Amino acid sequence: MPIANHHSSVPVIVDEDKCIADKGCTVCIDVCPLDVLWINEDTGKAHMKYDECWYCMPCEADCPTDAVTVNIPYLLR
Amino acid sequence: MEINNIPVIDTDILVIGGGTAGPMAAVTAKEQNPDLNVMLLEKANVKRSGAISMGMDGLNNAVVPGHATPEQYVKEITIANDGIVHQPALMAYATRSFPMIEKLDSWGVHFQKDETGDYDMKKVHHLGTYVLPMPEGHNVKKILYRRLRRNRVQIENRYTATRLLKDPDGNIAGMIGVNTRTAEPIIIRAKAVIMATGAAGRLGLPTSGYLFGTYENPANNGDGHAMAYHAGADLANLECFQINPLLKDYNGPACAYVTGPLGGFTSNAFGERFIECDYWSGQMMLEFFKELESGTGPVFLKLDHLAEETIQEIETVLHTNERPSRGRFHEGRDVNYRQRMVEMHISEVGFCSGHSASGVWTDETGATTVPGLYCAGDMASVAHNYMLGAFVYGQICGESAVEFAKSRREPVLDEAFIQTELERIQAPMKRADGIPPEQMEYKVRRLVNDYLQPPKVTRKMEIGLERILAVREDLPQLCARDPHELLRAMEVQSIIDCAEMAARASLYRTESRWGLYHYRVDYPEQDDSEWFYHSRLFKDENGQMASGKRPVADYLVPLGDEKDAYRKMRVQKAANA
Amino acid sequence: MKTYDDPELQAIATKLSSDDPGIRRVAVLELVDTGDPDAVELVIHALQDPDTHVRQEAAKVVDEFEAEDMADALIAALSDSDETVRNAAAHALADLKDPAAAEPLLQALETSTDSFVVSGILRALKPLRTQDAQRPALKRLADADAQVRREAVGVIGWLKQPENLPALVETAQHDADPEVRRAATGALVYANPSQVGQALIGLLADEHWQVRCEAANSIAKLEYQAAVSALITATSDDLWQVREKAVDALGKLGSVESIPVLGECAADAMSNLRKAAIGALGTIAHSDGRPYVVTALDDPDPDVRKLARWAISKLDAAA
Repeated sequence: MPIANHHSSVPVIVDEDKCIADKGCTVCIDVCPLDVLWINEDTGKAHMKYDECWYCMPCEADCPTDAVTVNIPYLLR
Repeated sequence: MEINNIPVIDTDILVIGGGTAGPMAAVTAKEQNPDLNVMLLEKANVKRSGAISMGMDGLNNAVVPGHATPEQYVKEITIANDGIVHQPALMAYATRSFPMIEKLDSWGVHFQKDETGDYDMKKVHHLGTYVLPMPEGHNVKKILYRRLRRNRVQIENRYTATRLLKDPDGNIAGMIGVNTRTAEPIIIRAKAVIMATGAAGRLGLPTSGYLFGTYENPANNGDGHAMAYHAGADLANLECFQINPLLKDYNGPACAYVTGPLGGFTSNAFGERFIECDYWSGQMMLEFFKELESGTGPVFLKLDHLAEETIQEIETVLHTNERPSRGRFHEGRDVNYRQRMVEMHISEVGFCSGHSASGVWTDETGATTVPGLYCAGDMASVAHNYMLGAFVYGQICGESAVEFAKSRREPVLDEAFIQTELERIQAPMKRADGIPPEQMEYKVRRLVNDYLQPPKVTRKMEIGLERILAVREDLPQLCARDPHELLRAMEVQSIIDCAEMAARASLYRTESRWGLYHYRVDYPEQDDSEWFYHSRLFKDENGQMASGKRPVADYLVPLGDEKDAYRKMRVQKAANA
Repeated sequence: MKTYDDPELQAIATKLSSDDPGIRRVAVLELVDTGDPDAVELVIHALQDPDTHVRQEAAKVVDEFEAEDMADALIAALSDSDETVRNAAAHALADLKDPAAAEPLLQALETSTDSFVVSGILRALKPLRTQDAQRPALKRLADADAQVRREAVGVIGWLKQPENLPALVETAQHDADPEVRRAATGALVYANPSQVGQALIGLLADEHWQVRCEAANSIAKLEYQAAVSALITATSDDLWQVREKAVDALGKLGSVESIPVLGECAADAMSNLRKAAIGALGTIAHSDGRPYVVTALDDPDPDVRKLARWAISKLDAAA
């Protein structure tokens, strides 16, 4: 039974120019209750790895550089 | 000590769940005895976990001297729950409610006060005054975190508990769990355990179809309910589902308690009130449901008759607390409170004592039926607890657990049980191919919606149970590609347990009670002669899911005339209707 | 550089001395997770960092610590060039709730001229309820800045001293800003009714509706019987919100003479007002009100019907 990857538009957007994850910041990753934000190995910046968002906003509210934007997931918009 | 090369961590008191009740329990245990080792285990990060990660906009059940008495509160909650309550537990809450507000106030939690510094209580219900707004209540988690650090509670973030451990005498002995980022197992031996894992909020599927668009924080998926069941604890009244009014497609609460004191209300399509019931209850939800389905539906939140200053005040509260993305949702649909009413709907079903009455059976000391295991917050069976009840029972459990641990020596662990559990934890990642947790979760939650959502029908629920059990048969194919998927794979097993419990509990009680929460079309009447009991759900000696009855303890507060006063506020059509 | 025994804290201290402001900023964030009391001095240090972002970050985390140790630093931060820093410091100061903080706060108040700073200090002094704050707060009632005057009212209201009533009445009646007048009107509820009753009656005719509502509330809380006829007049206010509060107050006063007016309100088009009127008639529980309550049993609004059923039971009990 093979597993397929499926394509999904994710609600949390990280502005890589503002993100300071490369300085050691992990605030958004730490505060996410669903653990869906991770460091992108290629860029060293935070990104949304799993589309399992409760649009609860700690990632956006706690980001020190205002790099994170939480959108309402498309299915609910 | 090591088991399977995994070091066993020892602690005196273990608290599972770092949301609302859990931190209070941990801090209380340390306040009782600073020398104890107290560990707080959290699936996410205690800074922003649980139901109040972004704060809370008010207390719905504050029993403040001069505004309400504990006796009055106990009466109201008893009537709102159709009599099936453990009054000693309600009374313990009611008498501790005000001292807890004072404690939180001294810690820096912001409650609304009048211009002379007295609590600014609001009357929302007709018989008592219980609402205390918290327009600046967004800092609650920050304050809890400060207390945890100050009291030197040991915090372990990103671990999910999977099973509770017991010693050969049946006392609690600790837990086993797994790290959500590394998939490394953890074994903790403890003299007493407090569980505060929140609601079972990923039981039904939101009508949007988005798995994580739930009323509850989706991290609260019923792990605690499942673990308590497997440890042999009684669960109570699980058929009394949680269903809440909320905005259509957005999981923000209806906010009757925020907008009500300011003149807003829930209306039908014609801008008219329709709810007859006074206190938040299943009865109220039944009226809501019937209106939704009627010719005067759907249902709306009506604010467009309020003054500009009032609307701004409401927006400030609703868009900065609890569910702050609400403003963004409205913007996307071009909805402005000033110009039009906001469409509402009902939430998916779940287990949550915060708003209803189901959960792990808990008495007035926070004790479950497993010695040494305590329970607080949305997962414990104390009815209508809300946030303040979670704090109060966190405190009660902290005190009780310290007392229990006092006389306890190092518990003996069941190594064979641990071995079996380690295999269960490791199995999904050992499979290279199979069914992803997401698909299995979608399926079982869709079955809950199709077959268990009220109005409940016996034959449908029987089919639902059969289909849920069939999903359980697929577990040997459950597969996880990384530690994150393993977390979801462990969660879906709890969700399946909860779905089976929801079906069996609903089938067991052959009457209707609690309005919409347990509305059985083929048993439409409330039957006090047969069913004036708590229903029990437990694992029997053969390991099978079983049901039974638990007598309702004698009332401390007789209902007397108030019962009639309440009945007068119940559904009655106007003479000209 | 000072060294620390706790390796975690030492690591943070090292990062805080980095040349890269980005790294110093992240180090401040990490301070929040340490339970070590020594972390406080590092926060204070970061509040004085040359980099604005680092100071902002430090200001945002100050309320994670026991702030009595840093009252001075927080007061200094109130005059920071950056608004985020000043705001955070003001909030943290307000959360102090430590009597020991009163002294430095009062000293700072003495010399501060910046309105934002003064407001922050007054907000912090309010919950401390220290008598020494009375004089400076009274003085600030004449400040040019409305926010300062509003916070001064708060300090005075929380002190609940009878001698301050004339000043509060003056502010409630004559302040140019409606929110200041509203706050002062709300603060009058600790008085003996005879001292402020006439003033409250006057405030029922304030030009701003929220002041009028607050006046009706305060009259109800004080149960000032002499206000009945003024409240009856207020039941025909232009705004239903004011009428609702006036009706609530008449119920609270148990005013039998207002029953005909309440009966009119019970037939108003606005259901919130009908609700309040039937609630008041039930509270008064006088037989003159019964016909209105009986009519309301058939009201189209269920909240009104509910209250009417409750009111009937009150009337029956009183009969």
